[in-house]
This record gives sequence, C-alpha cells and structure tokens, in this order.
Amino acid sequence: MTNRLCYVCEGGDCTERGSGDLFDKLRDLVKEFDPGEERIKIRRYPCFGACEQGINVTLYPDRVFYSEVTEADLAEIASHIKGEGEPVARLTGKCEPDVEQIIWDMLDSPY
Amino acid sequence: MSNVDLEAKIPNNVGLRDNKRLTMALEKWQPKFLEWWQNIGPSDFNQHDIYLRTAIGVGQGGWAHFDYVKMPDYRWGIFLAEGPSDRKIHFGDNIGETCWQDVPGEHRNRLRRLIVTQGDTEPASVEQQRMLGHCCPSLYDLRSLFQVNVEEGRHLWAMVYLLQTHFGADGRDEAEALLERHSGDEDNPRILEAFNYPVDNWLDFFCFTAFMDRDGKYQLASLAESSFDPLARTTQFMLAEEAYHLQTGENGVGRIIKRTGELMAEGKDPKTVGAIPLEIIQRYVNFWFTGSMDLFGGEDSTNAAEAFATGLKGRYRESDGIYKDPKALNIGYKLEVPTDDGKVETKEIPLRRAMNSVLQDAYIADCTRIVSRWNRELKKLGIDQVIKLPNRKFNRNQGVCAGYKFNPEGEIIDEATWTKMHTTWLPTAADREYVTSCMVKVTEPGKFANYIAPPQKGPNDQPIDFEYVQFH
Repeated sequence: MTNRLCYVCEGGDCTERGSGDLFDKLRDLVKEFDPGEERIKIRRYPCFGACEQGINVTLYPDRVFYSEVTEADLAEIASHIKGEGEPVARLTGKCEPDVEQIIWDMLDSPY
Repeated sequence: MSNVDLEAKIPNNVGLRDNKRLTMALEKWQPKFLEWWQNIGPSDFNQHDIYLRTAIGVGQGGWAHFDYVKMPDYRWGIFLAEGPSDRKIHFGDNIGETCWQDVPGEHRNRLRRLIVTQGDTEPASVEQQRMLGHCCPSLYDLRSLFQVNVEEGRHLWAMVYLLQTHFGADGRDEAEALLERHSGDEDNPRILEAFNYPVDNWLDFFCFTAFMDRDGKYQLASLAESSFDPLARTTQFMLAEEAYHLQTGENGVGRIIKRTGELMAEGKDPKTVGAIPLEIIQRYVNFWFTGSMDLFGGEDSTNAAEAFATGLKGRYRESDGIYKDPKALNIGYKLEVPTDDGKVETKEIPLRRAMNSVLQDAYIADCTRIVSRWNRELKKLGIDQVIKLPNRKFNRNQGVCAGYKFNPEGEIIDEATWTKMHTTWLPTAADREYVTSCMVKVTEPGKFANYIAPPQKGPNDQPIDFEYVQFH
C-alpha cells in the first residue's frame, strides 16, 4: 500500500462548510482509478488549524495544502492525484506557512 | 454495526435494542447522570433554551443538527465511528492480528484504568466550569460554554458505555464512581490534579479549552489507534466533537488578546477599561500550558512502552502509516534530562519508552501554531509585544523535570531565583483578583464585554447577534 496521503479536514469549521460530503465525493472520484489505495490513501483529519480558510485538504509527500476547497474543485484535485496535471495552484498559499508546517513536520516524523 | 437509533431512550448506533442487559444497566445509570447534571452541572441555566449542536449519527456531513434545547433534555447518545469488522492491529508487537472486540484478560486492568482516567476528565471539566455562565461575556460565549459542557457529558456516556459493556460488575462500579468523585472535593477528588483546579473566569476557561482540551485531543487520538476496537471507534467519534472545544479555546484567548491589542493601539491602558493586559494573559498561558504538559505522563515511561507494545495506545495518526517503523524498535529518542549538578544532558532512550514524549512533540507543535496565530493578530494591530509559549521544562510537576526549577526559556535555575521570579511567570493572587473584576455579565444579543473582541462568525452560519440563549 502506498504512503501517499490525502487528508480532508473534519474540524468544526470545515465540517460546517460540508467537508463530510466533500470527503465522500473525493474518495469516490479517486476510487474510480485507485480502488485498492495503490496510489493514495484518503483520510479524514481532525483539524489543521487553518479554520478560516476551510475546507482544507492536504497531499503528502506532495506537500500541497489546499484551502477554500469546494466540490467544484474535486475533479482537478483527483486528476492531479491520478498524475494527470499539476496541483491546483489557485487553492494553495492561502493559509499561514506555520500552519502548513505543522502537518508536514508530523508527516516527516523521523520515527 | 447496527444503524443509528434516535428513537431509543438513549440514542445510539451500538444496537442497544438487541441487548436488554446492557440497556437496563445504562437506563439505571441515566437518572443518576441527570441528577449529577442538575446538581453539579452548569448552575442555574437548565430552564433556558440553548441553541445547541446534537450528535445524531456518525456519517460525515449530517452527523449533527442544531436547534434550541433545554440542557437537561439534551439527547446524550452513544456513538461509535464506523469501521471494518476485521480491522487489524497496526502497531506494536501484535501487528497483523485481528483487533479485539472484547477485552483480553491480560489487558483488563490496564484498559480499565485508561478508560476510567479518560472518563473521569469529562464530568470533571463540567464541574470546574459550572459557575461560569453567571459572568458570561456574551450570549455567543454562553452558548459555546454549554456546547462544550453537554458534549463533555456525552463523552462521559461514551466511556460509561465501554465500562458497562466490557468490564462487568467492575465496570458498573467504575461508572458509578465517575459520578461520585467531584472536582476539588477534598475527600473524593477527580483523578488528575489539573481537573481539580477551579475554572471560575473566562480567561481560565478559554485557556483550559485551548490547552487542556488540546491535550485531550492527543490522548483521544492515541486511543483511537487502539487494538481494542470499541475503544478506538468510540474515541474516533469523540474527536469530531472535540475539535469545536479546541476552537472555542483558541479563538477565545485570541479574541481577548485582540481586544487588548486594539486598546493598546488606541493608546489606552487595558486595565483602565476592564480589559486584560498581555502580561497577565502570558502568565495564564504559562500556567495552563505547563499544567496540560503534565497530563501526558512521564517522558521516559515503561508504562507507555507497554501500552504501545501491547497495542493499547498508538502514536498520533499511527494508522495512516506515517511512521517508519510501526513496531518502534531499534531506534532511540533524544530526551533532555536535568541532572543533580544543575545541568541538562541529552540522553537517548528506546523510542517505545518515549511514547508520551512523542505525543507531547505533536502537542507542542500545535500549541506553537496557536500562539503564532494570536501574535499575528497583535502584529496586524501594530503591537510588537508577543505571547510566548514557555519551554516544555518550565513549571513541571510530572516527568523528568519534576522537582527541578526552570525559567520559561528552559534554563535551569536555582530555588532562590525561582522564589524571586515565579510571580512574574505564573498568575498571582492579584492577577486572579483583577481578571475576576473584569468578568461582567453581558446577555444582550450581539454585545460583548469590553475585554473580548467579537468572533468572526457564529455557529451553523448564524449571525453574531443571534439569540443563542433564550431566557424565559
């Protein structure tokens, strides 16, 4: 199984903005070409702390931190996950760098 | 797993209808819980209608709904997150074996202690905060307090479900005892010392939810990895609710800091207008952050090593496969340890023994982020002064630094320096008296006490001036 990870935030703000449905839809889109999680694991994450910019979605080890994600963006995100395109630039760089860094530090764990 | 049953006396998705013995046990405990809520829960607000979120399921998106409810009528339910029935153990010595649906005899005592300790914190915090409603800074904040309180009550239900279901007569006794211990009670206090401090002003409350509840998030996350599947799925769902509590604290302290900054930018002394100076806020941050650090347990712990090895507690997000070695063998952890000759040395210990410290590392990174966020607000206002997170060695009563004195920068100091300086680092009686004097009650919709800025938005997209609490 791959170590590539996609987290969809399910913190309070993101949930209120519909991150639950968004998670389900992104997972279904990715399942179409990756049913066995060979390319990526899609998981919920309790809260990244970028609540004002939700809904937040991250990709690792790509180190892509998407903010203000809506259902309209999911096809492009899935396409990038599939390897057919670049990260969706308009959704990046919206939250503070130290907020992003926390999740990368955790995922870069030396242990 | 069975479907969500919202019509039952106790809403649940654990198939209570098919388990008469368990249903009877829980229905016997329910009136005792309600009596506890009436007697020691939030004081005097039980007859009012509060705009609350109630968990109604575990599916994403529609897992909760918002409506007015009187707190004693809140539908405290039992919900486990969904998961595969054949989940495998993914860390420790038993990787690949099927997770346990029942408690293995050899782990019974340790698991019971873990569940009781977690369960004890839930009603404890409600008790600590019971008088806060009387000095609420706004209706918005009053509602937030009660949202946190009712959900801590639901988390108590979650732990009681595990005790009643999996620990027989011992579990029933423990469930009773969770309602018998009381925060600050001299004869029968709560288990963890930090849950016996009073939380009687809103700066304490917001610091509590920012730091102590954040510790809770990491403890729950480590239990959410457990090989004992019912515990894992119970705590996974609790984490979804807990996120709101952390936000309440982070935003609450942030709003107090913002208001102070606004006044400073206007050239006003916050103390002349009922707001809280940054120096006092700093001391409260120091107090609560260090208190929460103690809750993780010893940084070098054979108990933690055993809990990991046996599969009872994992690392943060262990199941995502982010760690290089799911067995955590053959690798060391560098730990700073004070020595009796007044120095600090770096000692390498086996990683398994450092599991509490690994969890602290993730927690500290999270706390560093929230302090940075508060400081950005100050900077926007043109204020150079900042709030600092103290070093992890400062003011510790548990772990390798307990018994040694450190300053907030993490430098080891002697007793005389501590005696001279500690009142500049931790809240004094005068600070507490001053903060208490700021606690004016504001209940007009859309209005806020002068020590706190309004939030950016209301829950469930409601406006700030929404009538979050209806007094009748």
